Amino acid sequence: MQDFINEFTVNFIDDHRYRYITEGFVNTLIISFFAVLVGVAIGFLVAIIRSNHEKTGHMKIANFICQVYLTVMRGTPTMLQLLIIYYVVFMSVNVPKVFVAVVAFGLNSGAYVAEIVRSGIMSVDEGQSEAGRSLGLNYRQTMQYIVIPQAFKNVLPALGNEFIVLLKETSISGYIGLTDLTHGGDIIRGITFSAFMPLIAVALIYLLMVTGLSWCVNKLERRLRVNER
Amino acid sequence: MSDKVLLEVKDLKKDFGDHQVLKGISTQISQGEVVAIIGPSGCGKSTFLRSLNLLEVPTGGSVVFEGKEITAPGTDVDKIRQKIGMVFQQFNLFNNLSIQDNITLAPVKLGLMGKEEAEKKARELLERVGLPSKANAYPAMLSGGQKQRIAIARSLAMNPDVMLFDEPTSALDPEMVGEVLELMKELAADGMTMVVVTHEMGFAREVATRVLFIDEGVIREENTPQEFFDHPKNQRLQEFLSKVL
Repeated sequence: MQDFINEFTVNFIDDHRYRYITEGFVNTLIISFFAVLVGVAIGFLVAIIRSNHEKTGHMKIANFICQVYLTVMRGTPTMLQLLIIYYVVFMSVNVPKVFVAVVAFGLNSGAYVAEIVRSGIMSVDEGQSEAGRSLGLNYRQTMQYIVIPQAFKNVLPALGNEFIVLLKETSISGYIGLTDLTHGGDIIRGITFSAFMPLIAVALIYLLMVTGLSWCVNKLERRLRVNER
Repeated sequence: MSDKVLLEVKDLKKDFGDHQVLKGISTQISQGEVVAIIGPSGCGKSTFLRSLNLLEVPTGGSVVFEGKEITAPGTDVDKIRQKIGMVFQQFNLFNNLSIQDNITLAPVKLGLMGKEEAEKKARELLERVGLPSKANAYPAMLSGGQKQRIAIARSLAMNPDVMLFDEPTSALDPEMVGEVLELMKELAADGMTMVVVTHEMGFAREVATRVLFIDEGVIREENTPQEFFDHPKNQRLQEFLSKVL
């Protein structure tokens, strides 16, 4: 027991080392939160463009751009994308690393969200949008009030999964020298040469975050399903 | 019934790739008419109906609605569809919306009615279709017959000048067919112009003012219900009727 307390003190209390963890935790939260927003925004946009193109044949150029985006984002490792965006894209401009991470993870997640949402749009029966159009609603109104709400409900479990993956994937932020949760724990390990305590602590915090996130998604899912008896 | 022509269809054609579904259909539908369309499955009757509000875009010919050619390029189709109601075989109620919102969505979002006015209208319509207690229910909670009556109410909320029915009772359990047909009869009696694709020969005979027989993408016969059913002239129609009656 005394060993445990000593270990704990060395890793977290001495020199306020817990701050690496708290700073990392806050950064991980910020990056994940804004990357989810960016990813969802891009994802919905790309999904709508792609499904519109599939249905009507319009928006050829936009659809092509989306295709290229999806191919690149899903075809290269996330870590490499992060490195390229930091060292190449933002090479000559001085922007906060957290911003770089939000851009990188948001762009990456957007590609996956896009395909999830597109599958959701396709899962909504064609008759739903036909009924909307037959009443005189235009394409945008039909999507906004009828198709997207149903698509969103259908893909919520998959979206929740994507958010979990994204949250955990931010753990590679250390590669651009950003103190995220994982990197924070690793810094402590580097100082104290004891791996167990900081790394397990970090793992537990991720576990808690993911559990909380799943709980929220589940709750939202149940709320959206009340009208299905 | 007046002589005012609501819908004028000229040489309507529709291809799906190599497959020609409509091979040139011409007819007129006047205000107050109830036109029943019958024919074997795959004959193009649904495609014809769906061409009338451009859910299917014809590949040839024209459709003129209230003097306006809706098949002409640049026509504001959304605007025209506001006046052409449609009832589907699969009901197609908006699953994410309550019954009341199903009915009020289009009039409100299209700026035709305020929210309160639309809700009042929805209550009246629910009364009319015999489901006043279902305003806050969701489509998943209703039976097929109830769904179809709501779908009719939703369509009526737009005050359409003509209503298209695409096999409105084909997806219903037999005991629910009656309630929907009854409602459609009432609509017809109120003077609603209706175009009905149906397999209900009794309804066609009793309610329709004119019956069309479409087969292989053309109108084979077109007549009053009495003549149509009692003295069919076309041989394909005779065969068809002998199978279904």
